[in-house]
Amino acid sequence: MSAFFAVVKKELASVLRDRTIIIALLIQLFIASFSSALLLGMLSLYDADTILQFSGARVKVGIVGVESPLADFLRERGMTVTPFATLEEAQAEFFKNKVNAIFVTPQNPAEIQLYLPKNEAARALLRMVLQEPMKRYENFLRSERGIDVRYADLQGKPATSFEFMYSVLLPMLMFFPAFVAGSMSVDSLTEETENNTLQTLLSTPLSPSVMVSAKMTAAVFLAFAQCAAWLGLLSWNGVEIQNPIWILALAVLIAGSASALAMLGAVWLKDRERSQFIYSLALLAVAALGGALNVSPVMALSRLAIGDAFTSGWDVASYLILFAALYALVWKFAPRLVK
Amino acid sequence: MNQILVIAWREVSRLRKRFGGGASPLAVLALAAAVGFSAFTLRDTLSLGSGLYRVGVSGNVPNIQDSRFAVMEVSPEEGQALLAARAIDVWINGEVVFAREDDKSQYAERALKQYMEKSELRRIAETYPPGAAFPLRVSIHTSSGAAQSGAATPSDEVIIPSLTPPPAPFTQVLVALLYVLPITFISIFFTSSFMDEKMNRRLTILLSTPITPFQIIFGKMLPYATFSFFSIMLIAALTKANIALALAIFAPTTLFIFAIYLMVPLFYRTFKDVTFIAMLVTTLTTAYLVFPAMFTNVNDLAYISPLALAVKMYRGEGFGWREYLFPSVPMTAVFGFAMFAGTRLLNEEFLMGYKPITRKAADAIYLMMAHASPFWSVPLWSLLTIPVVYLTQVVFLAFAANLPVSLILMAILGASALVEEIVKSVGIVVLAQRGVITRWRDLFALSALSALGFLIGEKALLLISVQFVSQAKVSGALFGAGLLLLVPLAAHFLFVSLTSVLTAKAKFPYWLALALSSTAHFIYNWIILRGGQ
Repeated sequence: MSAFFAVVKKELASVLRDRTIIIALLIQLFIASFSSALLLGMLSLYDADTILQFSGARVKVGIVGVESPLADFLRERGMTVTPFATLEEAQAEFFKNKVNAIFVTPQNPAEIQLYLPKNEAARALLRMVLQEPMKRYENFLRSERGIDVRYADLQGKPATSFEFMYSVLLPMLMFFPAFVAGSMSVDSLTEETENNTLQTLLSTPLSPSVMVSAKMTAAVFLAFAQCAAWLGLLSWNGVEIQNPIWILALAVLIAGSASALAMLGAVWLKDRERSQFIYSLALLAVAALGGALNVSPVMALSRLAIGDAFTSGWDVASYLILFAALYALVWKFAPRLVK
Repeated sequence: MNQILVIAWREVSRLRKRFGGGASPLAVLALAAAVGFSAFTLRDTLSLGSGLYRVGVSGNVPNIQDSRFAVMEVSPEEGQALLAARAIDVWINGEVVFAREDDKSQYAERALKQYMEKSELRRIAETYPPGAAFPLRVSIHTSSGAAQSGAATPSDEVIIPSLTPPPAPFTQVLVALLYVLPITFISIFFTSSFMDEKMNRRLTILLSTPITPFQIIFGKMLPYATFSFFSIMLIAALTKANIALALAIFAPTTLFIFAIYLMVPLFYRTFKDVTFIAMLVTTLTTAYLVFPAMFTNVNDLAYISPLALAVKMYRGEGFGWREYLFPSVPMTAVFGFAMFAGTRLLNEEFLMGYKPITRKAADAIYLMMAHASPFWSVPLWSLLTIPVVYLTQVVFLAFAANLPVSLILMAILGASALVEEIVKSVGIVVLAQRGVITRWRDLFALSALSALGFLIGEKALLLISVQFVSQAKVSGALFGAGLLLLVPLAAHFLFVSLTSVLTAKAKFPYWLALALSSTAHFIYNWIILRGGQ
């Protein structure tokens, strides 16, 4: 047992000494900040709710022609609507920057014209914002023709940020360390085999299975530490996370499984190039398979974090079985290393 | 040339040996492609917010097929109870939807609204004739100065609001990213190839032959570059894009990725280093490529990324030479710089040393500069690292966008001041520490030359990009636009000489000297920006 801990300690010490673990932390910080920046940017450009929330009254629409319910729909979305008698008048205001877009509503209510500025960015933004009132107007025309659109009055709050936080960012932060743990396991084993130090290591009172387990333990421990730190940081930032203990347990099990999967390849192939390649392929294959079978730790994790009523520790327990199976295989095949 | 081909062939046979029999590398690649594509199709089904909402349905409700909702059949009493107990987020009773007041339930209602809108459209389209189902036509016109005469302007397009989503580059960016995936994948082997030589100590033998390091690097790169170009053509053909255009757009990107992966085997000490460095590189390049491209057509700065060009290509919109060169020149320049660094660093002593990463970097810079007189190499270094500085600053931009608004500008200014100061002073400091420069006079002369080299590079870059970035005040401050050339030259000189004198003569640690000069640079930038407003 003391030999086991000696190897764990050596692995952790070497990671700390090389300082490259800092890079892994940096990557995660980068991914987190980058993806939220991306989301923020996307929302402020491509999400009508967000745009209108911040600058709804500043979107000024001119309407020329007969009275139309379209004007009410535009006002209800918080835009400023100004009626004009002729298109010339409206365009004059447009060139004074008093109006951003002009609707022309002729006698035939089903054929309207929309005048937009030439600038592509402004055009895209206005199209985004005007989409929903135009759709409501379309529904209005449908109902006049006797077509009833169901569920049209649903409201609710914009959910993109919520969905992003719990189904993208949190799983990414929890499972990226697992992915790293697998790669680290491959590195630490193949480094011994390729530098021919494995024989020396195994001449100590240490069986191959125990040695491999020790290397895995070190990698998984690092993943655990990172996940715990992320959970702490997120809740410190005011993100509400339910079931943190189960989430951490799930993250550790996934890290353990990834590490075992990677080790299996490394024990088999004994060189870094092929092992890493096979490991990345295997990860992709497992993810695709999980998607096909509709089991995904990502979904389990999101549901645990939002406190879903039908998700509990038992969902985590199923990943314990996966880990145990993979680990048993590693334990069985590790003696191949000395052959 | 012959030698390059020999090395390229050797590289191919090395891979063949690694992966066993003749056909298996192909088998592995086919597998990789299959898995990649299945993962890609998975992206469509795994949408944002997968599995987050629970919905109870009673009565006649359309079938909900969306990964975001877990649906269960309930009786009306159960539905009410479950909703009140927060076990489900929304309860649909026939055509009526019930939700609670709390956030989670409201989010679920909005998500349901989006889904129902689409499913209702499908239903209407199937049950009613097109004219009644989609009654509204909106013709879109451009308000132009000439159109004062009235409604006679021709319309640009006619849309049906519920069938025409507003333009967003999301999907095209994903398709464009597809081009990059095989390149990053294949570069694992490119990196491994150098690691192999290092491990088997064959590099020494190789270098003792009359083959130059350039030929070695180029030869090893050739098979992988060929593969990458073929994969670009294949993807272009599969997605029905213009093959030649796709090749032109992604060739600089390919070179750029290879340039970065060339650096990995040169600097690693342990295998874990390789993993971490490679991951960092992949993340940063992906971010660098994707982030700007998302804003294609919204902001011209999007052209920093070649993916923006690809997005344009897929939309059938044209772009000019200037738009093409804007992302391509820095990337190709980085490749050229990396090739140069590679040829200098490819030697036994450098590759084998186990040292802290900072020492290793210092060694690398020394090796790159030591072959010529410092009066040539120092300004040249400052000039040639400009693309790297530029790319780093763009990455900072992505980082900083996440900060509170009041801090964004300060963070970018601070970070870019630091990067610029490192680039300008590091060469001089390394040379001084190795005793190449000792005299005060040389120290100042080199500082001036370094400042000059940096300024020339900066202005050359500005010349390419001025059409794009002139609108953005921040970039103006980063690249020092709109100023007399002498003022920034003097400022650059001042900051560089501060760092070099403090390190070389006053024996300050480099980080401290750097911190001081960067702070000075930051304050300078800040004042310029304030003055410019």
